[in-house]
Amino acid sequence: MSFDPQPYNVLLALGHWLAVFGSCLGIAFFVAFMTGVASGRAGAVIGAVTSSFSDFFSTSCRRIGAVALLTFQESKRRKALYVFFVFAALFMFAGWFLSNPSNRPELQAKSYIVFVLTAISWLILPVMLLLSCWGVPEDIRLRSLHTVVTKPIRRHEIVLGRMVGYISVGTIVLLLMGVIGYVWIFRQIPDEAKPSLVARVPVYGTLTFINREGKQGSGVNVGDIWDFRSYVEGATKARAVWTFDDVSEQRVGDQMVLETKFEAFRTHKGNMEKGLLARFIFVNPVKNISLPGKPFEVKEYQDATLVIDRKMTEVDEQTGELKSFDLFNDLVYTDPEDGGNKLRVEVQCLDAGQYLGMARPDLFIRLADRPFAVSFSKSVLGIWLMMCMIVMLGVSVSCFVKGPVATLAVFTFLIIGQGMREFMGRVVTGQEHGSGLVESIYRLVYHLNPTVEIDDSAATKVMFGIDQIFKKLLWLVQHIIPDFGVFRMSPYVANGFDVSWEAAMVPCLLITLGYALPCLLIGYYTLRFRELEAK
Amino acid sequence: MNRMSSQSRKITYLIIIVCLLVGIVFLGMPASSEEGSGGRLAQLRVKHNLGEGSLGKVDPSSTTMNLLLLGLRGVATNLLWMEANEQQDHKNWAQLRTTVDSIILLQPHYTKVWRFQAWNLAYNVSASWDAVADRYFWVKEGIKFLINGSNRNLDNPELLWDTGNFMGSKIGRSDEWKQFRQYFYVDPEPRLNGGVDPELNPARKDNYLVAKDYFLLANDAEEKDPDKQHIMANILFRHYPVRAQFDYPMALQREGIFDQVTTEAWRVGYDEWTGKFGRELFDTETDGGWVVLEASDDDITRLAQQDGVSETLKREWVDRYQKMVNYIFWRTQARVEREELTMQAHRELYQGEQAFKESRMSEAQELLESGMAKFEKVMTQNDSLLLEDDAIEEALNAVLIWQHVHELEGKQVPANYPLKPLWDSQQERVQVLTNEFRREYGIK
Amino acid sequence: MSQENVIEIKNLSKIYRDFWGRPKVQALKSLSLDVHKGEVFGLLGPNGSGKTTTMKLLLGLLFPSSGEISVLGKPAVDVDKNEKIGYLPEESYLYRFLNADETLDFYGRLFNMSKAQRVERSNQLIESVGLQHARRRQLKEYSKGMTRRIGLAQALINNPDLVLLDEPTSGLDPLGTKDMKDLILKLKDEGKTVVMCSHLLADVEDVCDRIAILYQGELKTLGRVDQLLESHEETNIRTSQLSPEAIKDVEAALAKHNASVKRVDHPRTTLEELFLKTVEESQARPGQRYVPPEQGAEAKTTEQPVASK
Repeated sequence: MSFDPQPYNVLLALGHWLAVFGSCLGIAFFVAFMTGVASGRAGAVIGAVTSSFSDFFSTSCRRIGAVALLTFQESKRRKALYVFFVFAALFMFAGWFLSNPSNRPELQAKSYIVFVLTAISWLILPVMLLLSCWGVPEDIRLRSLHTVVTKPIRRHEIVLGRMVGYISVGTIVLLLMGVIGYVWIFRQIPDEAKPSLVARVPVYGTLTFINREGKQGSGVNVGDIWDFRSYVEGATKARAVWTFDDVSEQRVGDQMVLETKFEAFRTHKGNMEKGLLARFIFVNPVKNISLPGKPFEVKEYQDATLVIDRKMTEVDEQTGELKSFDLFNDLVYTDPEDGGNKLRVEVQCLDAGQYLGMARPDLFIRLADRPFAVSFSKSVLGIWLMMCMIVMLGVSVSCFVKGPVATLAVFTFLIIGQGMREFMGRVVTGQEHGSGLVESIYRLVYHLNPTVEIDDSAATKVMFGIDQIFKKLLWLVQHIIPDFGVFRMSPYVANGFDVSWEAAMVPCLLITLGYALPCLLIGYYTLRFRELEAK
Repeated sequence: MNRMSSQSRKITYLIIIVCLLVGIVFLGMPASSEEGSGGRLAQLRVKHNLGEGSLGKVDPSSTTMNLLLLGLRGVATNLLWMEANEQQDHKNWAQLRTTVDSIILLQPHYTKVWRFQAWNLAYNVSASWDAVADRYFWVKEGIKFLINGSNRNLDNPELLWDTGNFMGSKIGRSDEWKQFRQYFYVDPEPRLNGGVDPELNPARKDNYLVAKDYFLLANDAEEKDPDKQHIMANILFRHYPVRAQFDYPMALQREGIFDQVTTEAWRVGYDEWTGKFGRELFDTETDGGWVVLEASDDDITRLAQQDGVSETLKREWVDRYQKMVNYIFWRTQARVEREELTMQAHRELYQGEQAFKESRMSEAQELLESGMAKFEKVMTQNDSLLLEDDAIEEALNAVLIWQHVHELEGKQVPANYPLKPLWDSQQERVQVLTNEFRREYGIK
Repeated sequence: MSQENVIEIKNLSKIYRDFWGRPKVQALKSLSLDVHKGEVFGLLGPNGSGKTTTMKLLLGLLFPSSGEISVLGKPAVDVDKNEKIGYLPEESYLYRFLNADETLDFYGRLFNMSKAQRVERSNQLIESVGLQHARRRQLKEYSKGMTRRIGLAQALINNPDLVLLDEPTSGLDPLGTKDMKDLILKLKDEGKTVVMCSHLLADVEDVCDRIAILYQGELKTLGRVDQLLESHEETNIRTSQLSPEAIKDVEAALAKHNASVKRVDHPRTTLEELFLKTVEESQARPGQRYVPPEQGAEAKTTEQPVASK
């Protein structure tokens, strides 16, 4: 239940893209130019580069369409669409594996959703990978491409046409699968689990902690291996402080819905029949208002919904007067530094000696729900974008290597992009101990474990220097390999959230777009400067 | 090969294929319903009881999965296991449950997997939840997992014993035992509408009695093949059904139920302990030969003669085995507890304490006095009770409360009262108990 | 010469290299030739002589190791030139899962032709190659001859100025061969330039204006067919079947004119003789190469040592 969507930094991403794309382009041009100089044909290289611009300017949609249509017909002939029948067969029997009537409703819904989305992506992605990696090489092997290139079609039109063709094949299959999967979820899920098929729209805040002395600090770790949640101690001054941005009447409406999912940690049994008690405190630091809400019981691992009316009242302890507050007029404030309509919610645990664990996504303002279909189709769109990525990579890689090699290459990309990017990141940033290439070899040979310091000497300086170069290369590789993890949106759907635009859709779209141009260029230049006839 | 014509090459292939086919048929032909039919492998399978069908309920999905993975199921299981660990660390319970199910699809006949994962669900996952009803849900998940395991692996004494143990100890002895035992009758899951969970307790019995049923099944399975049980010594394994029978009235007493049902339960326990378990023959597999726990002098003589050893040695071994299962203690306990008088004594002491807690002082005094008198009587009738800690503590506690009631009422504690001899002889213990008592009731 | 050149090849060499860039085969050695507008030009040579390599270099499927090629006034790798070129590949390298209509439609699209143009043009072409009955069948069901025809139709889809035909008659029955030859002549009549390569000499002789004979990557002979085949030392007399007496009479008559019968047999194709002679000569004197004349100069044959590898 580590569901923690992080907003995507578009500018940073764009910067990275430009850096990587630019440096690759630069390196490629430099290498081409130098070989040109070496063979005494530097002019030809420059000529080729300039002529490629005229190629791009004479792009014709009809020619792209022709190749796309051809690709479509070819895929049909290769029985690619039969994958759909595998899918159907899988779904006929999936009920056997998944139905577990004793499970809690929301868990059941989760299993079904995750199954459908995983099945869709695991069926469609390998098929598209194979199709796209084998299309161009087969075309070259059978020499049908030779006839095509004697026509006035530009090489990038072939590449583009192939991509469009495969994507349209995939789109059709994916659409069918999506619709069937959606209907299937609705038919299979027991009635009591149906309410958990929603798309909640959360507004997340930022989380800070106030420690038991009432000072700005951090939460307590109660010994979990997983340091996702931090804990506040009960009946002390410890608080978890959430600050929400842009809380306005138009956005929230007359009733604000707060949804929570806290974790409890007991240092003594206490009253076992009751959950721990907690309460919200709305704080306006500008007007110096602090309005505590009613205590509520914490139910672990379950979403609790609290509806907060816009008008709130409190009895003044000194005067005994009834004071009323308005959520938007009195509690929402403008920060003197950041500005904006901020709302500050503090959470306090009321049971002495007990702890309440919280992480950023554990409290959010829930805006009006969207239908389940919205989040489901967004998630399918995520799979679609991932499919596009695979097709683009497959087509461009297969322009310069044969089918099996292309398949392996893209598959490797997929595996590394799914799970190993993070590790590479840790190596690059030096978070992973003893991670340099030469350093590791050195440590292996001398039986030094990663925590042992290595003496500072000229030789080791050289060693670390070389490792820095490798790390730079690895940085490049890490940034060249796409982050396929972003495309997995099933956690949103399974947890009953709408797929976030900023945290999921935008990065997916941008990554796909970001790879489109390089893939096209790679395909174009390899087809153009490759002797098709040479084997 | 090159020199051979294509014709003769084809004939060679054909001959090789036929030879291989004959071999395959000889080895692998599946058995029909006829006895001793089928290929060599099928016969061996029957002989060593290895067929999927004979191991337990065959799950079509599991078999398919194993076929699909060819030889890689060990690797796949490991990967899934690691995934399960991570899901547990990240408190992703729903996924954990499905991952565990997948593991079991791959390793349906690996007892250790069933036992480990069941324990994990019922103990570790359960403890991670805060609400008692949630904890109970996961205890049930663990138990259901075990029942499923028993179905997939018929006559597996370990899985059956574990099921009994979870049903008994986990439900009846956890911190939350009060709620758990109640939930066993009135399940908190909404879909069950306050009834029992038919998977656990179809007959609406006490959890200890259900546990006993499973222990009995475990014993039956163990009898069929004693080598399949590696948890504990054979004699310990055999004594669990009656222990569950004892646990049942003990739990009732903890809950303050001192009636016919309780006495009857003790009586059944006593009869089974002495009549059934006590009469079972155990092989010491040493020079001690065979022993029986409920051994009369005649039995000793007979067994000594039969094994050709001295009576002294035989007695030594019987004694040793009795100590292993605390035989004498339980026999005495059951014998005493099945008496109506004992039950009355318990009831009055319990009710007296309750009355004291509810500040009905005179009633408390009355009940306690009567109960103490009865308790003294029971103790004098059964000397061996004077050695049992539980009984002594129960008696001393009653006296403590009784004395305190006098104090509160401003009365003098009489010079003589029931259980005074015991009180006087146990001064050391009285000191400890007094401190505990004062702490519990906040008396300075 | 006054003709406009459609193809100009200067000192063209092609070396196939292996993975490490080491030269493996020299497929073409310093080839120079021009093809004039409106002529039918034949490239002749035994298998492996470099004629297909030349064709592919012309189309930009291969890149020259050295030398220059210009096709329709543009470099061979320029895509724009393809607008006016039609190419019939050696075996018809077409998509086997398409039918005739789809095939022509596909290639029509590649020429950016509108829907109406495509329909019109493909109807016309299918009729002219005689495939009306099979237009909805997939190409994989086609016979070799039908495949050649659809290949030709595909090559002509854009009404090209220059048509490159790789072995146009291979796999065709005599009737098909005749159709093909007629078609080539028709193309010539329409003012198109045709370059064909073939090892079937009869075809070449019938339709080509000029031929070049290649052997082991070298140009051996180049010239007009009628000039090359013209023999001033011999006269061939073809008659109906003669009786032995009649032959004696003829011999006697010849003896009167101081001539003699060298051989009496069924006549062989003269181009075949030329071809065989060229090949035999090349084998006897390797390294001899035909160098086309500079403007106005005489054609000559040079003796030139072959650079050893």
